[in-house]
Order: sequence, then structure tokens, then C-alpha cells
Amino acid sequence: MDENDLNSDDEIAIDDDCYYDFFIKGDDPMDSEDAKSREGSGQKYTILNQADIRKRQEDVIAAISTVLSVSGATATILLRHFNWSVGKVHEAWFADEDVVRKRVGLLNYEKQLSDVNAGDRATCGICFDVYPRYRIFSVGCGHPFCRECWGGYISSAINDGPGCLTLRCPDVSCSAAADRDIIDMLALSDDDKKKYSQYLLRSYVEESKQIKWCPGPDCEYAVEFDAGGGGDDSWDVSCRCSYSFCWNCLEDSHRPVDCQTVSSWLSKNTDESETKIWILARTKPCPRCQKSIEKNGGCMHMTCNPPCRYEFCWICLGDWYNHETCNRYNEAADVEADKNREDAEKHVTKYTHYFDRWAANHSSRQKAIAEMQRVQSVQIRKLIETQGKAEYELLFITDAWEQIIGCRQVLKWTYAYGYYLPENEHTKRRLFEFLQGEAETGLERLHECAELELNQFLVDYGSPLEGFKEFEVKLKGLTMVTRKYFEKLVRALENGLSEVQVSGTEEIGQNFPMASAEG
Amino acid sequence: MQASRARLFKEYKEVQREKMADPDIQLVCDDSNIFKWTALIKGPSETPYEGGIFQLAFAVPEQYPLQPPQVRFLTKIFHPNVHFKTGEICLDILKNAWSPAWTLQSVCRAIIALMAHPEPDSPLNCDSGNLLRSGDIRGYQSMARMYTRLAAMPKKG
Repeated sequence: MDENDLNSDDEIAIDDDCYYDFFIKGDDPMDSEDAKSREGSGQKYTILNQADIRKRQEDVIAAISTVLSVSGATATILLRHFNWSVGKVHEAWFADEDVVRKRVGLLNYEKQLSDVNAGDRATCGICFDVYPRYRIFSVGCGHPFCRECWGGYISSAINDGPGCLTLRCPDVSCSAAADRDIIDMLALSDDDKKKYSQYLLRSYVEESKQIKWCPGPDCEYAVEFDAGGGGDDSWDVSCRCSYSFCWNCLEDSHRPVDCQTVSSWLSKNTDESETKIWILARTKPCPRCQKSIEKNGGCMHMTCNPPCRYEFCWICLGDWYNHETCNRYNEAADVEADKNREDAEKHVTKYTHYFDRWAANHSSRQKAIAEMQRVQSVQIRKLIETQGKAEYELLFITDAWEQIIGCRQVLKWTYAYGYYLPENEHTKRRLFEFLQGEAETGLERLHECAELELNQFLVDYGSPLEGFKEFEVKLKGLTMVTRKYFEKLVRALENGLSEVQVSGTEEIGQNFPMASAEG
Repeated sequence: MQASRARLFKEYKEVQREKMADPDIQLVCDDSNIFKWTALIKGPSETPYEGGIFQLAFAVPEQYPLQPPQVRFLTKIFHPNVHFKTGEICLDILKNAWSPAWTLQSVCRAIIALMAHPEPDSPLNCDSGNLLRSGDIRGYQSMARMYTRLAAMPKKG
């Protein structure tokens, strides 16, 4: 983490190599050792654990506290109010300190306990008991409350949720802020203090614009993203909990496909899955405008809704006025009708094609993640026993699985991309399908090799099995080849398949023979 | 529990001592349960509630005064921020703007202020809120006055 801290604020260098980081990982055993320290030096994001977050938070608090000559607790209130932006605090404070103070409830004077209570005793405004001065406390506004009532007040606010971060004097019309120091001094239990400091930490992540929590299940890391870092415009982030997601839209990682496509695809999926079956079961598409029509009774003379208004026969889908009866079997007409239906179903079929592959890659990735955990926890240990290898000699296996997991993700999203790629851009489609096919074939070979061929070496025959070296060479080779294919695919999609011009002729297309294998 | 009881007892004594101090509010504690109170408040003058006596019921939680009391109208009232059927009151200080420095007495004062200054934009009684929002002040006033007469004034004869 040292390197992260050095780079903490504004300058996180970008180098292009690291952009393909997740593919490059694992060229040799040393490489994955380096992965952690590379985080932060090349990527546009930094993974923060609770301690890192706290450290950063304390750093900005200290910075404000020094520059404005206020206490750390006051600086905290100011920063929280201005979304933890040092710049905004400076700007507002130096523009008009009084306005800022008023807005966040900071007094710039220390009032004595109100005159009514002058003397050495005062009445608590909550329990109405009279106390000697030393048991009475006020946040500088002079409204007296006893320590016990303060404790109860604070505890009740903390248990109500993060609103306790803007705690004020309990007096009805007083806006004086009760800051972190007061909480520390007067909170009833350590539990309360702990909760308060947790809320404060969460506020730092949730209210600042550059940090977001990792949406992975049960993950406690946050990710700071340097959007101004230049370089590519990928938002993909890979958390230390192994969840990778898009920092911008918080969906699953979807490089090289953009957030917009992902969001339309995902909302399409929810729409389609719920209604598709129903539509297919009960409707026919209008032969002219292809809108789905449900027949809810009446005769066979159908009139489509305006603006289409097409009139047709429900049974044969033929034009109503060129049609007297359709009871006679007519081979030619049947072909025609089939064609109509085909057209109408085409979009459903097309969607189904892409959705099936998208979903298959999704579940295949989930399985690969589970498999990788098994590899790490069980199989590697077995291999050390049966093949007499050292752990570092077996890293190529986990590298292969990491590669599979990453590629499944990319491949999955290229199917959403493919669905939205305009059909009339033939050359682009051909290039896309060629690259995708190539990548997919490579990945299937790698996946199969990692999944099946490894098994034979897990059995303990008493002595190392021959052929392990060959297996190693093969798996490493497939890992590398697959990585290359996917790099190519990602690069091509990210620059919008610009290698081929829309005006390109078929000759260009011939450079990309159709993919030989599918699925 | 002990703290809330002690505080309520103090409020009780204060009410006894200053019985005549605020002629618009008459707070009464249940004989057997210090967590149950009722109040009679006078409808504020120059409002359609003028001349009416409204009864409020208080249910005080054990965490009082850290948590607000639950208050509702027992007397039927036509007011944008009071539920017409249940008498539930929509008032910020009874929810998230509560402060332990409020007392039952000051809550009554806040409710009287709410009667004089309805907030039609967060209505519990939509009919009433809509009349005010559409600018039909006369409509609202006559409805409110009618219910004040029907429900909040001693029946003659």
C-alpha cells in the first residue's frame, strides 16, 4: 500500500501497458506477485480498505484543520458539509466565513451558560433536574444539559442512523453543532462511539465524488477512481475481493461495451424475459407492421391498430381483400405465410441468439469462479503431493483460470454489443464476428484444457505422472493465445471497429474469413 | 424508564403549578398511568377553529424525552395536516425534528400553531389540502368551521 499512499491525491500515473493488466498478469510466476504493488502505480483507481479510508479521511481533516486553524472536529463538520472536498471548504470559508459558520452551526464565540442559570447550579433542559456546574455541559451556545442527558441524547441520535453526524444542541431553537469531540467526551458507551466513527467513515466514501463502495457481496473495500487521469475511457475496476465492476454504472464489468449499451441490454432482458413467453404463446405479429396482436375473440377479419390499419385474415395472415377462403391447402401460399412469420419472428430469434450466449457466458464465468476457488484450495495442494511440484511451479494453473474468468466476462458483453451492432454495417459485423469467433474458439479450448485435462494428474499413482510438462506447455500456450485474441477483440471494439470503413468493399471483408467454430 | 418517569413527573408538577399560566392548554395526566396524557386545547382565534375545544391524546414512549410522544386528535377536525379518520398529526417536531427539550406543554403549543398555519403541501387530509392549494380559502374555512361546530363545541340544549 505504500505506493498507493505516495500517489494518493492527484497524480496517479497512467501507462498503457497496465491497461491490459488483467490479461498480462501471469506471464511468469513473478508477475502475479507484482500485481498488488502495481495497483495504484498504473491503474486509474486505487482499492482502499477501511484503514486506508480512515487515513485519507484523517489527512484531509488535518489539512483543513491546519489551514483554517480550527479543531479537527470542526474541520470534520466543514468537510462533511462540503462533500469532503478540501477545495470547496476553502472556497466557501474564505469567501465568507460567517455564512459558512452559520450554515453548519459553528459558533465563533463561547457563550457562558445562560444567565438564568448563573451561579454554581444549573437546570438541565432535558431532565429538568438541578445540577452543580461541573455536571452540566453545553456546546458553546450556553444551553445547559446534564452529562447523563447528553449521553442519552447522543446515543438515541446514533441509533437513529447517520443523521447523528449533523447533531445539534438539544435546545429547540439552537443550531449549534455537536461535533466529534463532544461525542467522544459524552457518549455513553464505546459501542456508540464505534458506530459514530463508522458513520463518519461511510460518509467519507458515500459523499465524496471520487470514491465508491465496491458493490461486491459482503465486500468492505472502496474504490477511488481518478476520472481525470486521461488515457482510455474504461471504467472497469477489479476489487481486491475479486469482484470486478464498472465504476461508472456499478454494474458488472463490461469492457469493451459502454455503459449505455449495458443498461439498455439489461433493461431489455428484464422486459423480454417476463413478457416474451406470453407474447409468443398468445399473439401473432401483424404481417405488415410486425406489431404483436392478441386476438381476444370475434371473427377472423383482423384490422391492425392505426397507423397501420392493415386488414388481414387471422388464420392465414393473408390480405383480407385478396382472400376469400383459406381452407384449401396451398403449397405456395404456405411458403409465403411462413416467410411472413419468419420475418416477424426474426427479431425474437435474433434477441434469443444473443441472449442465450450472453447468459451462457455469464453462468460459465460463475462456474469458473467457483472452480478457481476449488483449484486454489484443493487441487494445487493435491498436485504438490502427486506431482512433487512446488507451489510457485503451479501458478500457471491459476493464471489460466484467471484468464478464463476475465475472458468470459468480455465475451459475455460482446454479445450485448453484437445485438446492437447495426445490421446494415456488413463489414463491421463480419470483422466483429470474426474476432469474436476467434476469441471464443480460443477460450473454449483453454477452458476445456484447464477443466478436463488437469484431472488426470490429480490421481495419486505413487509417482509423478508423465506428461505433466506437456500439459503445462499446452495450458500456458492456450492462456497466451487466448489472451492475444481477447486483447485484439477488446481493442477493436473500443475503437468502434474503425479498422474497416463503412464504405469498405467486400474485398476488405475477405481479410477476415468467417470464424470456423462457434459456441 | 426511570428517566422518563422522573421527567414526566417534573412536567406534571410544572403543569399543576402553572395551571392558569396558559389558558389555552389544559394538560391532564391519566390517574393510573403517567405515560398516558390528554390535553384540551382551544382553537386559535381568527381561524375556523375559533371557539372549539379540541381533545388530544398523548402516548408517551419509555424512551421519552429522547423519543417524541405520539399525539393524535380525539376530536374530529378538518385540517390538511390531520388525518380525518384517525386524528394522526403530521408535524415535523413529532417525527424527525423532535428534540428532547420539547415538553408536552410545548408540543401542545406547536399543535395550536399548526392549526393556525396549515401546511397544505404535506397533507394527511387531501381534500382539505387541495382546497387550500387551489386557493379556495373560503371553501376550506367553511368546511373547517362546520366541523368545529359539529365536533368541537358543546352541544346546545
